Amino acid sequence: MVIEQYTIATPPKYNFPQPTIDEALPQRLLEQSMGSLRYPQRQHFQLNQQSFQQSAKIDLHAETLQLGMQPILLKPIHEETQIAACDTSTIKIGETSTGILIAVRGANVWKKHRSYKYNRFGPFIFHITEENKKEVYDAIERAYFVSGRVQGHPGIVNLMQNPTRIASLLERWLQATLSGMLNEGIVLFDGSLTAGTVDTPIERLRGILVKARECKNVVLAFSKITNLRAKGRLITDLALERGTPYLLETTGLRPKPPIVLLGDVYVARLSHRSFAFRLDIDKEDPYEQRIEALGKLIGNDVLSQGYPETLRLAHILCTFTANEVIAMQHFVARRCGLIIINRPDMHRLLFGPFGRGESYS
Amino acid sequence: MKLYRKEGNILQILSFPNETVEKGDYLLVEDMEARKALIAQVIDVQFASVPGVLEELLRSLPDGGELVLGEDFDPLEIASHINYIQDASLLVCKIRATVENENLSPSSSWLPSRSQSTIKRLPVPTLLKLARIEGKLPIILGGTKDSSLLTIDASHLDGRLNIITGKKETGKSHLSKLLMINLVGYKATVVVFDLNGEYISLGMTGDGKRNAHYDKIHVLTPGQNFKTALKHVNLHVLLGILIHALHLPGTSAREFRRIWQSLRERDMLTLHELGEAIRNWNCNQLVRDALSSRYHALINSGFFTDSVCEATLLEDSLFKAEEHGGAIVINLKNTSAIDRQVVVEYVLGRLVEQLTSWKIKATFLFAEEAHLYLRETYWDDIVTRMRHFGIFTTFITNQPDTVKENIYRQADNIFLFNFTNEHDLEVVSRAARVDAETVKSIARDLPPHHCLVLGKVVKDFPMVVKVKAMDVKTMGETRLFFKDMN
Repeated sequence: MVIEQYTIATPPKYNFPQPTIDEALPQRLLEQSMGSLRYPQRQHFQLNQQSFQQSAKIDLHAETLQLGMQPILLKPIHEETQIAACDTSTIKIGETSTGILIAVRGANVWKKHRSYKYNRFGPFIFHITEENKKEVYDAIERAYFVSGRVQGHPGIVNLMQNPTRIASLLERWLQATLSGMLNEGIVLFDGSLTAGTVDTPIERLRGILVKARECKNVVLAFSKITNLRAKGRLITDLALERGTPYLLETTGLRPKPPIVLLGDVYVARLSHRSFAFRLDIDKEDPYEQRIEALGKLIGNDVLSQGYPETLRLAHILCTFTANEVIAMQHFVARRCGLIIINRPDMHRLLFGPFGRGESYS
Repeated sequence: MKLYRKEGNILQILSFPNETVEKGDYLLVEDMEARKALIAQVIDVQFASVPGVLEELLRSLPDGGELVLGEDFDPLEIASHINYIQDASLLVCKIRATVENENLSPSSSWLPSRSQSTIKRLPVPTLLKLARIEGKLPIILGGTKDSSLLTIDASHLDGRLNIITGKKETGKSHLSKLLMINLVGYKATVVVFDLNGEYISLGMTGDGKRNAHYDKIHVLTPGQNFKTALKHVNLHVLLGILIHALHLPGTSAREFRRIWQSLRERDMLTLHELGEAIRNWNCNQLVRDALSSRYHALINSGFFTDSVCEATLLEDSLFKAEEHGGAIVINLKNTSAIDRQVVVEYVLGRLVEQLTSWKIKATFLFAEEAHLYLRETYWDDIVTRMRHFGIFTTFITNQPDTVKENIYRQADNIFLFNFTNEHDLEVVSRAARVDAETVKSIARDLPPHHCLVLGKVVKDFPMVVKVKAMDVKTMGETRLFFKDMN
């Protein structure tokens, strides 16, 4: 059975100052998605789901990390500023006898004139096998990141790493798109500005930041979770409660090569009685521009619990709900004629209530 | 559709958006291997409990309830699958019967295969055929949702106790007229207690011309063309009026009996002589006063006359109706509460008299808002004693709590129109022939002129029908103040 080919129609345009959008990546994602789905025809399909966390543990020499205890106070600047954010999400929706079925989705969100708008890409569903895992990844990477490709990198060694890597490609593409589309705005990233990893070659992230600077945008990267510790304690726990938003500088953080930090690391508590987050700001941005950008963020976006609403929405919009997982399972079962089976969970089977198998929603 | 759960006689069926099923619809759950099928009726349609729906709804609302607008680049068109799953519904169904070898049995004791069973809508005509609801004396009640006609058999109203109920302006009287006209068409004798003068023009078309039933509708208006002479009234009928309608005490009733016998022996049964006799009768003053006040109540009703040619013999109308079929409409409009009870007591007394002496075969009695004229003890009489005499009553009311509970328990057929009030639904749901869930769930959502038919006429397969229109002059419309202004 041949899977129907889709005509790709990207959203006509963003409601952004620049009208065009590079559609190469979604198109290649779709091609690879459709291509990979040709092969699981009539196979048995084990329904289970597992979310992949994209935050890989990165080796940083944090022993020398120090947290500046003199807060940089931030004042809201209400001058209207475009704020945009992006995030991606990936999930395993099932297994076949030869591989796994995954879904990837990304979202761009921006706030303009007090209202939020979004563009969402996906879900793209892939059937990843040992045979096609490299081909799928390389094809998608080639579609956009030709210049930033790491020649001779170890490639994809593990099938289970593949979903996060595909999602990471999509995320970098979204970040690059936003960085080049906004003008004098604020671009919010989910995560840090750490480069030199398998997923994030230095040139790739640097290219995105250069693009942002060219358009006079400031990139603010928020990490929801951090492992950085100063004096044995998490840097976000060291931030004290104050009446006004503030920033704490960090010093002495030396990443282990080939890891590179393209941003300066701060601890930001952006609203009263809220959480503190690790915040990375592009090293090349002047200090005043950074403070001004944070002031504009506070003055223009909702900061519930100290986290920008735009970024929260980006995360929410791309995250898969149980309902969507069922819908995607329904889709692949119908399109690929997969035979759904419910393989017993060996942990539960062998150990009964003491077994800890994968959790089923 | 997929079979999801069975608990007792309740089935839960998962239905997808492209399968349009509504409350009241019948489904056939067929297990080919078992060679059996369940007939189940949808009594409620709920959202299926799909995981993640709450998150799905919440994420479209960022803050302050304002929608996030955006565009989706969804080349695989997963959104349609999401909507498909999200809009899945759960049909709560009541098992009505099992079909095995084309025979129906009320059993719900077996379990069809969840994975192998096929579920499809059961069209009403097929169900009617399976249940053999149509008979030799068809009455078309109206159309069902799938555009087929619901036809009941008039013989299933014969010997039965029926209730037509629903809130105001839902079409109760219209249905009772429809039933009545059809019964008359089958040469049945129908007596109607017409409280609001709604039935008096049944012999006319909407534009005021005579219709086919004109000669069969006999309207009797008390005090006008419906009067009776004392000599035509049996003592026990009159005593019934005095005791039950006019609340004459027992001692006084005994004296009245003596007066009556005395007058009859002398062939002096006239109103004038009765008044004189009461005035001159040798008895306690209190008894005389009691008798005198009742006598004047009889006089004032205008229903009694001394003129034999002015008097109407109810029997004549009954015999006429018996011969060709006909409806005797007792027009109680503009009749006071006391006079209404007098007339009703008289009519029922005479009817029982005629029926016990086998002068007439049987009568269908239609009683609108019977609590306004029927004495307390008659309720039990009607469902027990009078039924055996051949009075088959249909109560029509918009206040279901005015009909006694035992009437509901013994009702053979219930024609239920819309009710939204919980209390009203609670009362009706006491009927023995239907389960409370069906009544409460379906009746609440019935549109005007739609009726849930329960009972023997539909072989206990509750059915929703839009009552068909009739070309008769309607008199039940409410008089409006602002009518001309709109």
